[in-house]
Amino acid sequence: MILRPRKQDHLLIGKYTGKIVTGVGLLMVIPLITSIVFQEWDTAIDFVISISACLIFGLGTQLVCRTERDLNWSHGLVVASGSWIVATILGALPQWLSGHEGSYLDAMFDVMSGYTTTGLYLLQDLDHISRGLNMWRHLLTYAGGQGIVVIALTFLFKGTAGAYKVYVGEGKDERLLPNVVQTARAIWLVSLTWLVIGTTALFGTGLLLGQEPVRAFLHGLWVFMGAWSTGGFAPQSFNTFWFHSITYEVLSVIIFVAGSLNFALHWALWTGNRKEIRRNVETVSFTVTLMVTTLIATFWLAKSGVYPDAMSLFRKVFYQLASGHTTTGFSTIYSKAFISQWGPVGMIATTVAMAIGASACSTAGGIKGIRIGIVTKAFLQDVRKMISPESAVVRAKFHHIRDIFLEDGLVRSALMITVAYLTMYALTAFVGTLYGYPLVTSMFEAVSAGSNTGLSCGLTDPSMPDLMKALYIFVMWLGRLEFMSVFALIGYAFSIVRGRK
Amino acid sequence: MKRRIMIAALLLALVLGALALGGCREADNPQASPNEPSSGGLVDAPKEWDGKIVSFTGEAIGEAMVRGDKAWIHLNDDAYYLKNVEEGAQLGGYNAGMAVWIDASLAKQIQFFGDYKHEGDVAKVSGVFNAACAEHGGDMDIHATSLEILTSGRDAQDPVKTDKLVWAVVLALIAGGLFLLNRSWGEWGPDSRND
Repeated sequence: MILRPRKQDHLLIGKYTGKIVTGVGLLMVIPLITSIVFQEWDTAIDFVISISACLIFGLGTQLVCRTERDLNWSHGLVVASGSWIVATILGALPQWLSGHEGSYLDAMFDVMSGYTTTGLYLLQDLDHISRGLNMWRHLLTYAGGQGIVVIALTFLFKGTAGAYKVYVGEGKDERLLPNVVQTARAIWLVSLTWLVIGTTALFGTGLLLGQEPVRAFLHGLWVFMGAWSTGGFAPQSFNTFWFHSITYEVLSVIIFVAGSLNFALHWALWTGNRKEIRRNVETVSFTVTLMVTTLIATFWLAKSGVYPDAMSLFRKVFYQLASGHTTTGFSTIYSKAFISQWGPVGMIATTVAMAIGASACSTAGGIKGIRIGIVTKAFLQDVRKMISPESAVVRAKFHHIRDIFLEDGLVRSALMITVAYLTMYALTAFVGTLYGYPLVTSMFEAVSAGSNTGLSCGLTDPSMPDLMKALYIFVMWLGRLEFMSVFALIGYAFSIVRGRK
Repeated sequence: MKRRIMIAALLLALVLGALALGGCREADNPQASPNEPSSGGLVDAPKEWDGKIVSFTGEAIGEAMVRGDKAWIHLNDDAYYLKNVEEGAQLGGYNAGMAVWIDASLAKQIQFFGDYKHEGDVAKVSGVFNAACAEHGGDMDIHATSLEILTSGRDAQDPVKTDKLVWAVVLALIAGGLFLLNRSWGEWGPDSRND
């Protein structure tokens, strides 16, 4: 029996959604300051409008929805998924007001892509946009990588038990420290430390590459944000191809691989447990699948003779595959070169890498290495059971921060989410083929959106059908929140209409 | 340990096998066939143009990155190469362009590079198109030997729109009012008393 939510439930959800949207509004102060510093007055006004709209919604909701109760699990999931929708609608205002978007739907596409660290975009004439708007694009993806709920938890929540439920609703479930707010702050500590080191390294490299200081700094900061969040937004339409530098590529690979690691793993390394990186099931799984997909693409491209020498071949293949596998979406080739140069095998290898994705509780998307590791171990355990004597007890374990025995419940949960991802990829690709796109192209782009990667082979375009834009927004959201929160929101909406009093 | 060495050896053999299978291609000799393809044409059919001398025209974007006596420039031949969106250009899809490797002395002829505040010089370059340049890690580029400025760039205008200014003032006042109302009615949330 489904119960209709009571007034108290609505108040509770409204209050916490309001807090998170207030957080998004406060985040816009950074691009506003950027616009003022660079005297981009029209852009500054766009941000005043957008901040005001977020604060009106956020503060207004908190005024109306006054309640003393704490959140339960379903509230937490609904707040997490619902606040992402409101934050997308209001967060799209700066993009839309800039005049660089074909429609409000396009602006929402870009913002959802930013929050979910996807990196696909529909913004037009990127090479002429203001620095304030570019700062917002990259800040979106940096903040989205940590999770917009994490931001709100850090600054606006006061450590309720319910806060953990919203945190989990955003697709994260690692408690680095006993208190969830302390965990959120620990995530920020790790991220901000990397921000300082990564930006400095890219800034210095930019200067050596011939960039003038202000551009070198801004590009360093933005490329760091795009890499660390595994977002893939870059300040120029040429993406990281702009820099023509192996040093810049190596630095960006280090940053996006680091960003794709589980925050719990970061915390283990931070607290001195260096062995964890070699033993962790996610790093092992990632290393194996990255090597396999890279080898397949290397074989194919070597055979077709696209690249003139071994070094160029390895440099191009490894960069695109590592970027795809970590679900970053940075690219040093033209989008359409996937079709005109890489061909179907290269595209399929990249698609598989994107579909798997990187680590859970990181900034990355996709099925995740831990699930691939668990499912593989479970499969091998079953094979061992089959070939062992009937009386033998066959147990398997994996290492993730600690040794964990493989239980049926764990395997079931990993398989369920894996099947959900595969179904989502397949259905999204199917819609693409219905619109007449070739299957490989359609699958590549569907997986890129659903796994929050952002590599494109040219299908994503401002002129693509609106239904596909809406579908991609939905799958980016679904993939990032890992289904449960979204289903909870749909269930909540259903219970309002059909639930019993 | 032995197992690890075997795995490493196997992987090395696979990589070497892949490279041997494909072989290393010699760069094609440039052919004297003056052509003026668009960036879209080059990206869609790189094999057809590979190694040929092409002329390419576009707006200089961003900056020239000088590396010794050479420099990287980027030319866009998209819908915005004469007028940008802020100045009223119709939206016409993504940016599109080509990376150009050129003598630094020629790159210095470019006075304006396109960005939010500038419409860049429109330049025409001629040189060899590389579908995957051996000198630059497989990048698709043009190694240009000449550059001609066709149209000078300029400062771009993006005046403040009055209607947006009015909206900004009104909404900011409402947001400020709500903030004061929220504060006067108490705390951020009841949870603050629990900590």
